[in-house]
Amino acid sequence: MALTGRAGLLAALGIAVVLFAPRPGAALAGVCLLLAAGILVDLAFAGAVRPLRFHRSGDTLIRLGQRATVELVVENPGGRRVRGLLRDAWPPSAGATPRTAAIDVPAGERRRIVVTLAPTRRGDRSSAAVTVRSVGPLGLAARQGSHQAPWTVRVLPPFLSRKHLPSRLARLRELDGRHPALVRGQGTEFDSLREYVVGDDVRSIDWRATARRNDVVVRTWRPERDRRVLIVLDTGRTSAGRVGEAPTPMAGAAPTGGGLLAGPDALPTPGWPRLDWSMDAALLLAALAARAGDRVDFLAHDRAVRAWVSGASRTELLSSLVSAMAPIEAELVEADAQGMVAAVLSRAKRRCLVVLLTDLNAAALDEGLMPVLPQLSSRHLVLVAGVSDPRVAAMAGRRGTAEELYDAAAAEQAQLGRRRITARLRRHGVEVVDAPPDDIAPALADAYLALKAAGRL
Amino acid sequence: MSVETRPPQAGESYATSPTVRSVWRSGRGIALVGVLAVIAAVIGLLIGPDRGPARPLDPDDASLSGSKALAELLRDRGVTVDRVDSVAAAAAKAATGDRVLVITDTAYHDEFALTAIPGDRLIVGDLLGLPVLAPGVRMEPDFARPRSREPACGLPAATAAGSAYLGGPVMRGPAGATACYPAGDGHLLVRFTHGGGVTTVVGDGGFMTNQRLAEDGNAALALNLIGTGKPVTWLVRPDEPPALDLPGEQGRSMHDLMPGNIRWAVYMAIIALAVTAFWRGRRLGPVVAERLPVIVRAAETVEGRGRLYRARRARGRAADALREGTIDRLVPRLGLASGAGRHEVVAALAARTGQDPQQLGAVLYGPPPDHDAGLVALAGHLDAIERQVIEP
Repeated sequence: MALTGRAGLLAALGIAVVLFAPRPGAALAGVCLLLAAGILVDLAFAGAVRPLRFHRSGDTLIRLGQRATVELVVENPGGRRVRGLLRDAWPPSAGATPRTAAIDVPAGERRRIVVTLAPTRRGDRSSAAVTVRSVGPLGLAARQGSHQAPWTVRVLPPFLSRKHLPSRLARLRELDGRHPALVRGQGTEFDSLREYVVGDDVRSIDWRATARRNDVVVRTWRPERDRRVLIVLDTGRTSAGRVGEAPTPMAGAAPTGGGLLAGPDALPTPGWPRLDWSMDAALLLAALAARAGDRVDFLAHDRAVRAWVSGASRTELLSSLVSAMAPIEAELVEADAQGMVAAVLSRAKRRCLVVLLTDLNAAALDEGLMPVLPQLSSRHLVLVAGVSDPRVAAMAGRRGTAEELYDAAAAEQAQLGRRRITARLRRHGVEVVDAPPDDIAPALADAYLALKAAGRL
Repeated sequence: MSVETRPPQAGESYATSPTVRSVWRSGRGIALVGVLAVIAAVIGLLIGPDRGPARPLDPDDASLSGSKALAELLRDRGVTVDRVDSVAAAAAKAATGDRVLVITDTAYHDEFALTAIPGDRLIVGDLLGLPVLAPGVRMEPDFARPRSREPACGLPAATAAGSAYLGGPVMRGPAGATACYPAGDGHLLVRFTHGGGVTTVVGDGGFMTNQRLAEDGNAALALNLIGTGKPVTWLVRPDEPPALDLPGEQGRSMHDLMPGNIRWAVYMAIIALAVTAFWRGRRLGPVVAERLPVIVRAAETVEGRGRLYRARRARGRAADALREGTIDRLVPRLGLASGAGRHEVVAALAARTGQDPQQLGAVLYGPPPDHDAGLVALAGHLDAIERQVIEP
């Protein structure tokens, strides 16, 4: 049950009545009895909340940054009209509006309420409860009750880097159609024979075919198709660090600009976690590799396997990837590199390109990945991609006062450690992509295209 | 992008609020226990002794600090003990004959009216108005800790009782007074003749309480002091202290001037407040909790290290980091292998920039600067060298 403002007003009027009544004690008892009687009448004659039924329809999948519309149909099978307030409760980061809605459902009828969700982070957002407050005929008291009307909206990663996809696809086509280098590499296959033109490598002349015809004929090769790419996403503690500037406002982020904090000393907005930037890069790489005819698998791992997508067909690869990525959050535990390598080795039987999206943190890699890296790089081609922090780069460039120089020295040390671990990884035959958040996705795509062009896949 | 995997959706809605029946079913055990507890408490109050707050040295109080035991002892010896709580009542008793007046509290009594009552007196403790009741008794600033003490005097009542539990303020009697139980510079019991009766002042009433009466010679001392055969008037603190209402003009307090309706209106206001609070306080549905991801900026560790350098003025480490960073960037540009030694780097750099190798060596490998200005200058030199190599 619940009371309304009208009950409070009635009680407040009662104060005046008691104040001027000739027999205040009796007046107080009278006012209280009147109030109690009104409340009881309201509770007795308010429309019942328990028998209400709810039906939902609407969006179940949206990308971060889009709005979802969920319809809620209230059906009143009871004998009395249900008039009052309805609250469709969602988690705060679902950004549900309106918070409450006035409803008036006559007996035996149904009404529709439209709730708009503007989620501020990835993942599954489930409706928590639907609460109805049904006010009685006098408007003094209301019956109240909650229902579960389950509905889940999955908020997918936004895949912002898809703007880079057309240009990379153009380069891929160029790679495909071009007499690819006429150099026969490990990952190339025979494409066709064509006439020799000046400038072609004489080593690629096919003498047997030339002998059968009057023209000199060369063999062309193209990058081999149906290679395997395994994208491994590190969801350990290093992936929780926020870098760059969030393209969409994220839940829990401090409001930007304005307020008392605005000013030179204000903390910069925390940006996006490395994990989200890595996902963005992984999606671009997956889209590109799928178009290039390669098979893409996906593994998310910290101390256990968080997600595993394998054998998705070319058309449904991206949708299954974003769906698998949506609920993944960075876990605040140290990633288990040994377990990750074991998971990769058990899943990838044939040689493949293992793209490891992690942070190039010297301490974390020394402890974790470096000791087990040879197991991986001996069987597979390994590419490590790390999102660098533009803020550290900006700090390293600071000059002027001694205070700023101490910051610059600290940043310089961090960058030095990064460069050294990169050099060590390269010595192990591992490809390394180290780019700021805005560039990581195209840089990773370019690295993939370079490997493909060189026939190293 | 076609999307085929969908998050799970359930079908029908169902009510989650508890029904009246389920609330009754789950709560009846607790309600039963509560009702039993209330019944037990009511019965306990009804059959139990009426114990108010402790009233020290009250002849009707059976608590540890009361004196009911002493009063009963006196009655056993045929001494009448009358408990009074006002000066007027004490004066009325005094009018019936020669009595002993025991004064244990004067906080709410008029000491000048008390002095008008004739007869023997026993004044217990350092009471308000003691100089009026017992003129000539001087209080020393010392305070004796209550403990068992020897009488050490010629007063028969005390010597017969022997050691007693006494303490309190140290006193000096007027000339001709008998003083017992010495402590510090004075005594703890003073007896002298005043206004036609014998006045006895003791520093502390501990020996008369129910708790201490059975120890030492406490009971004997108390009986000797009070039980001289005369009826006893025992003046205690009033059961209901007079209200502190200050009367206004025409002797009417604010309470008298207020109309009777106000009190009822205040009750009604409290009810209205409760109704309003319930209206505003009732939430529309549950609070929805959510597990949010942590917000930690990746640059925080680097910033923290910078602040540590700053706090410790770690010029050596800062200079090393800046130099190593510069050399690390310069080495590939100079065409050297990554493990190039100091002399190779300086030589190659001198060849490229045309600067003095000595000076370059001092900038790149010299000792750390010994003040902040030196660090700033070093950073400037390093930047200049790097610029020269990158943009010849």
